[in-house]
Amino acid sequence: MDLFGNLALGLATAVQPVNLLYCLIGVVIGTAIGVLPGIGPIPTVALLLPFTFGLDPTSAFILLAGIFYGAQYGGSTTAILVNVPGETSSVVTCLDGHEMAQQGRAGPALAIAAISSFYAGTIATLVICLLSVPLSALALKFTAVEYFSLLVLGLLAAVVLAHGSVMKALAMVLLGLLLGLIGIDVSSGAARMTFGIAELGDGIDFVPVAMGLFGLAEIMANLERPPVRQVVSQKVRDLVPSVADLKAAFPAMTRGTLIGSILGVLPGGGAALPPFTAYAIEKKVSKNKAMFGHGAIEGVAAPEAANNAGAQTSFIPLLTLGIPANALMALMIGALMMHGIQPGPQIMSEQPQLVWGVIASMWVGNLMLLIINLPLVGIWVSMLKIPYRLLFPAIALLCCIGTYGIANSVFNIWLMLGCALVGYLFIKVGAEPAPLLLGLVLGPQLEENFRRAMLLSDGDVAVFVQRPISAGLLAVAALLILVLMSPTVFRKRKEALAE
Amino acid sequence: MAERRRGDLRDLLFGGFLIAVAGFTAAATWSLRVGTAANMGPGYMPRVVAALVLAFGLFFVIRGAVAAFHPIAPPQPRGVVFILAAVAAFALLVTTAGLMIAAVATIVIAGFASRETRPLETVLFGGAMAVGAVLLFVQALKLPVPIWPW
Repeated sequence: MDLFGNLALGLATAVQPVNLLYCLIGVVIGTAIGVLPGIGPIPTVALLLPFTFGLDPTSAFILLAGIFYGAQYGGSTTAILVNVPGETSSVVTCLDGHEMAQQGRAGPALAIAAISSFYAGTIATLVICLLSVPLSALALKFTAVEYFSLLVLGLLAAVVLAHGSVMKALAMVLLGLLLGLIGIDVSSGAARMTFGIAELGDGIDFVPVAMGLFGLAEIMANLERPPVRQVVSQKVRDLVPSVADLKAAFPAMTRGTLIGSILGVLPGGGAALPPFTAYAIEKKVSKNKAMFGHGAIEGVAAPEAANNAGAQTSFIPLLTLGIPANALMALMIGALMMHGIQPGPQIMSEQPQLVWGVIASMWVGNLMLLIINLPLVGIWVSMLKIPYRLLFPAIALLCCIGTYGIANSVFNIWLMLGCALVGYLFIKVGAEPAPLLLGLVLGPQLEENFRRAMLLSDGDVAVFVQRPISAGLLAVAALLILVLMSPTVFRKRKEALAE
Repeated sequence: MAERRRGDLRDLLFGGFLIAVAGFTAAATWSLRVGTAANMGPGYMPRVVAALVLAFGLFFVIRGAVAAFHPIAPPQPRGVVFILAAVAAFALLVTTAGLMIAAVATIVIAGFASRETRPLETVLFGGAMAVGAVLLFVQALKLPVPIWPW
């Protein structure tokens, strides 16, 4: 398979008018929810999922992917103008971006953020192309044994790189696995923990769980915090950055892209971790360290490039191995399965049009984002004038409709209600819900592969360390745990994530 | 307040929750055949995962008990109660009274969750959202749900 053939196929798919339309819808919705604090891509994707059933899977996936990377663009607008991160991934953009806005340089800050994102998006698309083929070739050699080890590694790594307490995250993964066990056991036909509820027979739907944990619980927690929102009322002008600005920002953009691309591929990476890392590194290598925190343009370019690159490369493990790198990718896996596509190594050879179409659409989408974000920034800013007192009831309503729509089931709404309450408890005790979602989505695969591996080996657990690829994967997992246990790393990680 | 209290309430609460979940799972799956590793029954994985959850629960309870005192931000029932009530109202109304009424009810009840809510504005907004939801989800996206009770 050659790279150009793949890319050509992808581009041909992505520029079909219908796919262009869905890409545009996706990035517009993504930008909107990115701009608005209090609603993130996870509930949005969950909400729209049921309504993509009627679409061709490629179009559906292009739309959902657009929401994710579109949100990264939108988040920076709010960060720069309001000093409130529209998304968690744009927390660091607040530092220098908002400072620039206060100095009357909101225009260049927005422009550099958008250009950095576009630049990173372009490079990340190429990275996906280059890495996908060899990775999926490797993955085709996998049997149930390797697959089980890979799932274990994926879950562990997602935990290590996630925010918050590692032990709590591990416990959350286990809770997710337990939820994933609910339903009729495929090999024996026995009902497990269904309590006679017919809707639970096919297993628990992850959409109500995601909406409850991420959408509603977040609202309940937000309502307890004092409201903060003050839009910078200056006119946004000078949207074309000066050559000097571009010159200063370019090396930072490149470093940010590199960091984002690498961290995005790692499980747990996604869009949240890269900008923190990129900002920290940029601060170290920059010639004018003193400017950081006081409106350094590099402090906008690097994290913005990193979050966009990370958002895109986090699709690599999903598209090649069928392993989600973060909670949003877990939703995407669910989306694939609902469209009848089994995620996994075979997806590249069986669905080339979907995989390459989505990859190419990311680049197309980034181009659209550049266009809709810069000249139309005024529209997005005016969206910030919607007060939270109207926003949160609307989000609650949309969560209800979306959850109902997934299977036209009222039971799912009650399930979401329960998850919202549990999610609120999780927020109170400081446990991140993302690992739970990963466990829920991967749980059935984990059990199935373990069962198959045990059948192959006649119940001998040693098989996992006897086969080289599997042993290697488990060794990496063990190493991760060991590294984590060491006190120095523990402290460093805390610092890095606390920033 | 001179008395030195111990216990990280966050860990204690989370640990207690995990233990409860593990116990519940064990009780619910007790009758399922466990089998052996080579020939796993449907009860095998639930038993293993529940045991791990229990272990984590005990870990958090012990860690929380020996740690220095750390409170939980006191919950404010207003937000929780009204958001949950809004969702419950939607669940009860959507198939019986139709999307229009369910949507207005959800928005209005949710509105009570915040002190900043203005009654008239919320009712009008609820009406507008209901019409928008019907147009978008029922008319355009063909969600099979009644619009009105009749």
